[in-house]
Amino acid sequence: MNYWMVLLTTVGIWVLLALSLNIITGETGQPNIGHAAFFGIGAYAAAVAGTRYGVSFWGALVIAMLASAAIGGLLGLVSIRLRNDFLAITTIGLNFVVVAVFQTVPYFGGAMGIGGIKPPQLGGLSFGPLEFAIVSWVLVGLVVLLSYHLQRAWFGYALRAIRDDEAAVEAMGINVRRYKVLAFIIGAALAGLAGCVYAHFMTFISSTDFSFNVSVTILSMVVLGGRGSVLGVLLGGVLLGIAPEVFRFISNFRLLVFGGILVLVMRFSPSGLLGQGSWLRERFARLRGADLHGG
Amino acid sequence: MLLKKRFKRGWQKVKKLVLVVATLFVMALLITGCASKGGNQAQTQAKTIKIGFFAPETGSEAADGTSAYNSAKLLIDQVNSSGGINGAQLELVNYDDQLDTKQAVSIAQKLTTKDGVVAVVSGSYSGPTRAAAPIFQQAKIPMIAGYAVHPDIPRTGDYIFQQSFSGVVEGAAAAQVAKDKLNAKNVAILAINNDFGKTLVQGFQQQAAKLGLKVQDPNWFNFGDTEFTPVLTKIKDSGADVVFVPAYAAEGSQIIRRIHDLGLKIQPLGTEGLDSTTQFLEVAGQYADGLVIVTNLNRDSDQQVVKDYVKAYKDKYGHDPDMVGASTYDGLYVVINAIKKNGATPDQIRNGIAATKNFQAVTGVIQGYDAINQVIKPVQVQQVKNGVFKYFAEITDPAIITPPTK
Amino acid sequence: MFLQQLVNGITIGSLYSLVALGLTMVYGIMRVLDIANAGAYVLGAYLGVWGYTHTHSLPVALLAGVIGAALVGYLFQRLIYTPVNRPDDPIVPLIASIGLFIVMEDLFRLIAGPWTLTFPARLPFQRLALGGVIVTGSQLTILATAAVLFLLLWLVLNKTKIGLGWQATAQDTETSMAMGINTRAVLAFAFGMGYAFSAIAGILVAVHHNAVFPTMGDIPSYKMLAIVVLGGLGNPLGAILASMLIGLLEAFVGGYVGSSIPTDALAFMALIVILLVRPQGLFTSGGAAK
Repeated sequence: MNYWMVLLTTVGIWVLLALSLNIITGETGQPNIGHAAFFGIGAYAAAVAGTRYGVSFWGALVIAMLASAAIGGLLGLVSIRLRNDFLAITTIGLNFVVVAVFQTVPYFGGAMGIGGIKPPQLGGLSFGPLEFAIVSWVLVGLVVLLSYHLQRAWFGYALRAIRDDEAAVEAMGINVRRYKVLAFIIGAALAGLAGCVYAHFMTFISSTDFSFNVSVTILSMVVLGGRGSVLGVLLGGVLLGIAPEVFRFISNFRLLVFGGILVLVMRFSPSGLLGQGSWLRERFARLRGADLHGG
Repeated sequence: MLLKKRFKRGWQKVKKLVLVVATLFVMALLITGCASKGGNQAQTQAKTIKIGFFAPETGSEAADGTSAYNSAKLLIDQVNSSGGINGAQLELVNYDDQLDTKQAVSIAQKLTTKDGVVAVVSGSYSGPTRAAAPIFQQAKIPMIAGYAVHPDIPRTGDYIFQQSFSGVVEGAAAAQVAKDKLNAKNVAILAINNDFGKTLVQGFQQQAAKLGLKVQDPNWFNFGDTEFTPVLTKIKDSGADVVFVPAYAAEGSQIIRRIHDLGLKIQPLGTEGLDSTTQFLEVAGQYADGLVIVTNLNRDSDQQVVKDYVKAYKDKYGHDPDMVGASTYDGLYVVINAIKKNGATPDQIRNGIAATKNFQAVTGVIQGYDAINQVIKPVQVQQVKNGVFKYFAEITDPAIITPPTK
Repeated sequence: MFLQQLVNGITIGSLYSLVALGLTMVYGIMRVLDIANAGAYVLGAYLGVWGYTHTHSLPVALLAGVIGAALVGYLFQRLIYTPVNRPDDPIVPLIASIGLFIVMEDLFRLIAGPWTLTFPARLPFQRLALGGVIVTGSQLTILATAAVLFLLLWLVLNKTKIGLGWQATAQDTETSMAMGINTRAVLAFAFGMGYAFSAIAGILVAVHHNAVFPTMGDIPSYKMLAIVVLGGLGNPLGAILASMLIGLLEAFVGGYVGSSIPTDALAFMALIVILLVRPQGLFTSGGAAK
């Protein structure tokens, strides 16, 4: 039972990260290969607030989101000056610099990490695996709703229009820059939220938890699922999140399989499982079309 | 009207979402269910004692993880082929954590709630070990850390043991060696910036202060660094006569090579991190000659258990064992000894480990475990001569080898 | 100490520049951020060890690495990169290249084992001591090899048809296609050459460190991206200069400031600072404009 709850929580955190990155990379097409930086900033902000200043989990949630959003906003401001491939590498850079700061600055626990983060309390109940699973998936639900809302609202239309043709949008008079920065702020804040849950769930964190590899995994979830498709990204997050456990029976080849999947999906279905123009999505559309005719 | 329509559309989307997620979980359940069935079958065979194990067997630290796993497997096979423990066979329930704390947590949950293990040996680094420890503590299943040195690990609770020295002990021993055996006047430090390096440097500095030994500010490097010429050039100009190097084999071997390249007249003093033939000695080559390390494995020991381990490992895997393997082997060895002496329930094993006294293991005589379950054992000092580690000294002073409990 | 660190920095920079040039060759022509290029670095080292243990000849080892890596580069280009490449969407080829890199690393581990192999090659140079400055045999080998390869690359890019074709394509792909430059041949050349350069760097490092292991490409895989961006993405001279800059930065920070700052973050810190001031990179190439 506890095992499933722990797995649910871990997958939930991954899905939160994937959905948050989707707002930046999926909706506005800004490549962000350093998303673990925001995850880490949220986790460290929450851990420092909790262990040094006695802030509760609920307070830490807000602090984590604000801290990540602030850095996200800064990166967003930088991003609008950069070409896409420069931005991609700058985000990798941010990831390394953030990890280096956590690794060296004593205030953040340095190389020893931060331990002793107290599990959240709610009306005298101390959180266990079940409560964490519930909280993480309630948050996933909220973020899914938010993502749909962003997509539906004209904000979302504008963002996707940016991804597809920036010049045309600019000509239409929509302030592209504002949305790009806003997407970074929202995406980063949500990653910070995931970080806060993660820090309290693990009770200890260290800089290597937020390394470049983690960014690669998050981005793989988004791309594999289908950039811009909320459902697809959710699917990508669940699949890759659960993969280390599912593939245990071929333990020695797990990395090989992961790498192979990335190559094959990019080669044969570059828009992911459920992205625009993907094979599955076409199938769904066709099925629905047939239904209409039948009915 | 419009609102209703929008609501309906939204509801359809949510329904679709729930459906997809549900299908996925059912699929996952099925797959993992099938995979874990294999394990259950083994349980129905005869009487087996299950011991949990995890190590980074793939990914960036696969070399250490594989060493650890190979050693644990070796011991399990040895015990089973000699008839098991009171007729019961041992089974190692092995997991690869890929050096990922998140996976370590799921593994710990799996070991405690699904696999029914009675004790656990960690063959992993501090991060995963530390993340898994609270779960074993809560489930009251004893865990012993093979070579993870983070001081928080034994402090998790009374079911968590540390088989490797506290970093502080090893660092203090190194300072003693520097002063007494190497006649150091002025020591430079070149240390890895992680929990291993930090605790060793802390122990070294404390002991050096007691001995009145001059120690320069430490130079830190990071896991995976390869270029040490710049920092060694700095150390060369600092007038140090001994350089203390808490490092692992990959970085340590490069440091030793560059010391030679730059023609530094300096005595390197390493730690257990360099205690590996394949990963360190062969890479450092003839330049390692004269190097002194503090470690826990005395390869010159005439103790049968050491000779047996070194030989059996080499026979089975075709290369020499290292400290990581030996320490993990001992972690499991202590657990098995506790089962033999005290019984095979988790509580009996915990008490059995805690009661260990003067137990001859591969990594020296384990004098026992202190109030918070840190090992107390003498520190071995080895020197490289003609490409092999040889006995140089042994530190048994209780003031040094007793780890701090705060 | 200053002169010594200068030598140290230039040596580090020379090693970086070989990998950075490999990446630049590929980027210049296809705009792919090719992480898997670091896989060629590891592949070169493994093939080099294999060649060396069989023949005890360093040139044979180099040849084995170069040919093997060039072949792999060509195959990757034909089978993966050309089909997935899309203008203005760096993510798809990037993820594909990360996947390739993971597959390569794990294959090395599965085939050769996770432990370190040694590469005890004898070097053609002896250690030099000039005044207080020491240039080691492996440093001399690295410097000499880099110098020869820079010259070779310059000759190829400026004096051969295919090299000029590369330059033209790097400047402007569409026009050069319209002008009848054989893009397929140029692509094959760029990937083959790019991967071969990385393989040579891998072999030099393997000899310098006497060590070959599956994850030795991890740090180059991302550090080179920072260097290549600093160099203006797709500009060979810029890549060399940026490599030297980062090499010197690491040497002087390591030598004078020492401790606190992790070396690997240095390249990225430099990158971020420079991009804030000059969003187009330190050096620009004509072809880099959108």
